[in-house]
Amino acid sequence: MDIGSLGGNLLGIIPLGDIVLYLTPLHIFMFIVILLFTFLIAISRTETQVEASFGSLKDNKIAVGLSEFKARRFLAIVCGIATAGAMITGDLFNFILFVALTGIVNIGIVSAVKQIDVLNAAFQYGLIAMISSLPLFGGGAIILAATGTLSFFELAKIVPSPMTLFGSILLLIGVAGETGVAPFFATKAEMFRTPGSPFILIIHLSSLFIIIRAIEILLTILT
Amino acid sequence: MLVPEFVPEIFCSLYLPAIYTGFIVGFIGLIGIAINKNDIHVLILTDIVGLAMLIIVGAVGTDLAEALILPGLVVELAEIMAISEILISREMRKKGKNTSLLPMPLVFDMEIMTTAPNFLSLILIGYGIFLTGFTGGAVAGGGILLYILSRKARGLPILVINGLGAISGIAWCLWIVGFLLFFVNPDFWLLSLFLSACGLLLKVASKMGLIGTLMREEFKRE
Repeated sequence: MDIGSLGGNLLGIIPLGDIVLYLTPLHIFMFIVILLFTFLIAISRTETQVEASFGSLKDNKIAVGLSEFKARRFLAIVCGIATAGAMITGDLFNFILFVALTGIVNIGIVSAVKQIDVLNAAFQYGLIAMISSLPLFGGGAIILAATGTLSFFELAKIVPSPMTLFGSILLLIGVAGETGVAPFFATKAEMFRTPGSPFILIIHLSSLFIIIRAIEILLTILT
Repeated sequence: MLVPEFVPEIFCSLYLPAIYTGFIVGFIGLIGIAINKNDIHVLILTDIVGLAMLIIVGAVGTDLAEALILPGLVVELAEIMAISEILISREMRKKGKNTSLLPMPLVFDMEIMTTAPNFLSLILIGYGIFLTGFTGGAVAGGGILLYILSRKARGLPILVINGLGAISGIAWCLWIVGFLLFFVNPDFWLLSLFLSACGLLLKVASKMGLIGTLMREEFKRE
């Protein structure tokens, strides 16, 4: 499909050699929104969970230590920037790399938690993220083999073949697994039961934004 | 046809078998994960699926695919390290111990560390110098690393560490000069090639040797 009809008017292109960035209102909006959220998360403090204990009137506070707080804030900012990059990129290659970076950083954000249940869920999520790097990179490679290019500008002009369709389906599975959306969601919901709320939220936010961009990309390639 | 004329037919015909091999390997890995219930075995089997990814990407065989392989490999390594870290941290927490960043006790108690390092590192360094370039640097650096890790003496003087760093910096200059010469005056291509190759060899080898020094200083401190 024509790039302009998906994301609004084509505002302009930024040719950087092989990599051609293009700007549409949708991409600019998503880019700015995710950067704003990243900024909000960077300046905010973590929540402290309060657990009521049975059989007594005491509360049990679960707070985040300073070093853990710093590490998680850094990873959350990296996650936000990677998501912003995936929003604005004009290249399937860069998109795949940004999604893979988001997947790794998501594992990192929960890995410093001190609860066995959460670590268990993070382990399962990490396995899914690692397995889904096969469809993610494999889908990109098959699209490359079928069309000879990874630039969206070129891919939008090429009429899709069955091999492109196969590669796109693999790519969608890969993106879904790497960001932990719909069919792979179960372990990710478990991971949210930890203290340190704003940093956990970026995991969720990045997967929402990336899946929107992935669908837009698949429409660009396939129609 | 997307493939240029000068590519032989046999290379093009290898693409489909390679893709099928990749998917079969991935499928075998997934079956293994589905059957196995031991966490560490599942982790190792997941790496097989990652290798299948490398096969599928490598089957394309263009420079863009090569550019995809390298980050793919790095992503695999980073994820397997992160997940194994989670696994170690979880097991430590189950036992009620405190975890640090590197929970493993790093004791190299192997016989090969005391008997063979001189000979092996000599061969590795010689072969690395013969190779030159980045690969040679990595091989020679591996030799230096082996020697430093296995030697019993500790407490390398600070002068030696600084000296290794200085060699690395000067080698980097050699490399840049070689590249510059290559662009400014292409007639001297052989000289510039050897300048940059030897510079890269010295740089990578000294860097890896430096890593070995730092690691030993860090871990053999009782």
